[in-house]
Amino acid sequence: MSDHSNSRSVKVISHQLEVQHQAGEPLLLSLENAQINIQYHCREGYCGACRTRLIKGNVEYTTAPLAFIDDDEILPCCCEPATDIEISIE
Amino acid sequence: MRYTTFNQYTTNPLTEPMFFGNPVNVARYDQQKHSIFEKLVEKQISFFWRPEEVDVSKDRIDFQKLSEPEKHIFISNLKYQTLLDSVQGRSPNIAFLPIVSLPELETWIETWSFYETIHSRSYTHILRNLFSDPGEIFEDIVVNEEIKRRATDISKYYDDLIFFTQLWQTQGEGVHSLDGNHYTVTKKELKKKLYLCMNSVNALEAIRFYVSFACTFAFAERELMEGNSKIIRLIARDEHLHLTSTQHILNLWAKSKDDPEMADIAEECKEEAKHIFLTAVEQEKQWAKYLFKNGSMIGLNEDILCQYVEFIANERMNAIGFGKPFEIKNNPLPWMNNYLNSDNVQVAPQEAEISSYLVGQIDSEVSANEFDDFDL
Repeated sequence: MSDHSNSRSVKVISHQLEVQHQAGEPLLLSLENAQINIQYHCREGYCGACRTRLIKGNVEYTTAPLAFIDDDEILPCCCEPATDIEISIE
Repeated sequence: MRYTTFNQYTTNPLTEPMFFGNPVNVARYDQQKHSIFEKLVEKQISFFWRPEEVDVSKDRIDFQKLSEPEKHIFISNLKYQTLLDSVQGRSPNIAFLPIVSLPELETWIETWSFYETIHSRSYTHILRNLFSDPGEIFEDIVVNEEIKRRATDISKYYDDLIFFTQLWQTQGEGVHSLDGNHYTVTKKELKKKLYLCMNSVNALEAIRFYVSFACTFAFAERELMEGNSKIIRLIARDEHLHLTSTQHILNLWAKSKDDPEMADIAEECKEEAKHIFLTAVEQEKQWAKYLFKNGSMIGLNEDILCQYVEFIANERMNAIGFGKPFEIKNNPLPWMNNYLNSDNVQVAPQEAEISSYLVGQIDSEVSANEFDDFDL
């Protein structure tokens, strides 16, 4: 994962938008900064309110999630993209 | 199968189902079948707090200033919260501990219940501060028709599971007569009752509680009853974990990652389980009507609260694979998230940012006009 770039592309399929993620910040923050309306409560990975579908790519968790997530879901509040990713927010 | 407090047979807790396997013997956490419950225990313990740490003395002054309809909203809401935690402080222990088969889950249930008792203690802390004699408030919880209607629905799934578990553990499977009634006890039937009960608990903690939190935080939005709101923030943080745990249990069953028979039951009883959630939604809407019967308050009325009930029900039902039955898309009470965000939960009294908590302490804010009458 020794990558050249600090920035990852996040395609939000549901919103037909592309957001740039800056390394070091949770994915949730990048989405909020792009004015995408996404549900959240705890912002620490234990409530599951921000549960989002990951369509393509991988993420890395900065805090291990406690909330239930399905195999194709991620918690943007406590992860960062490890590759360029595609997600869908209901 | 009779319950034993220390099962003398060697069991393998890595292959037991969550419930209705062998009773737990050694409380060991070096290995876990479902490590999530051990992680939840750790997280929950790290959240430890005591109601007495929160200064609620300013709330008494605020309370006197509330209008009569607002007092009705505030007190009724607190009564309802007291009921919910009275049930939750004991029921998971009594209903689930006799049938649990994994040590990490057993400890999670105990930890979970213990925190509910902290919540109950905090209601006494709040009410003792507001009234010289809070007795009347507590006594009304058992006789108030509006509250009783909810209590019936909340406790019936627990009561049913507890009663049938008692029959099963003392008399085994079969048809048993008691007081002229016949009860058919089978393991399958017990598991169905457990499944429905777990759904009812999830609806209680994931929907009913959040409706009550909305009422509390609506006061805090107006900078009223902030001590109370601070306590409810701590309670809400705990409830996040609790609802996460029942979501995990329900999903482990539904996705056949535990007892395969429970996966069949989840499929078979799906509509009945959904109905539990939809009934809870209806009841919460009726409750909103009762809360606002004498008038609304700034920032919250029956309509908005009902929309919030639907919004939160969509989120919670979707999380356990029940879809989103309501039209609503956006959170009608966006400010709720400020109170539910763990960053905003004050973890130590000295970290308070709201000046009303800094009673008897030095206010660090100094404005330039403080020096107006100061000459050299």
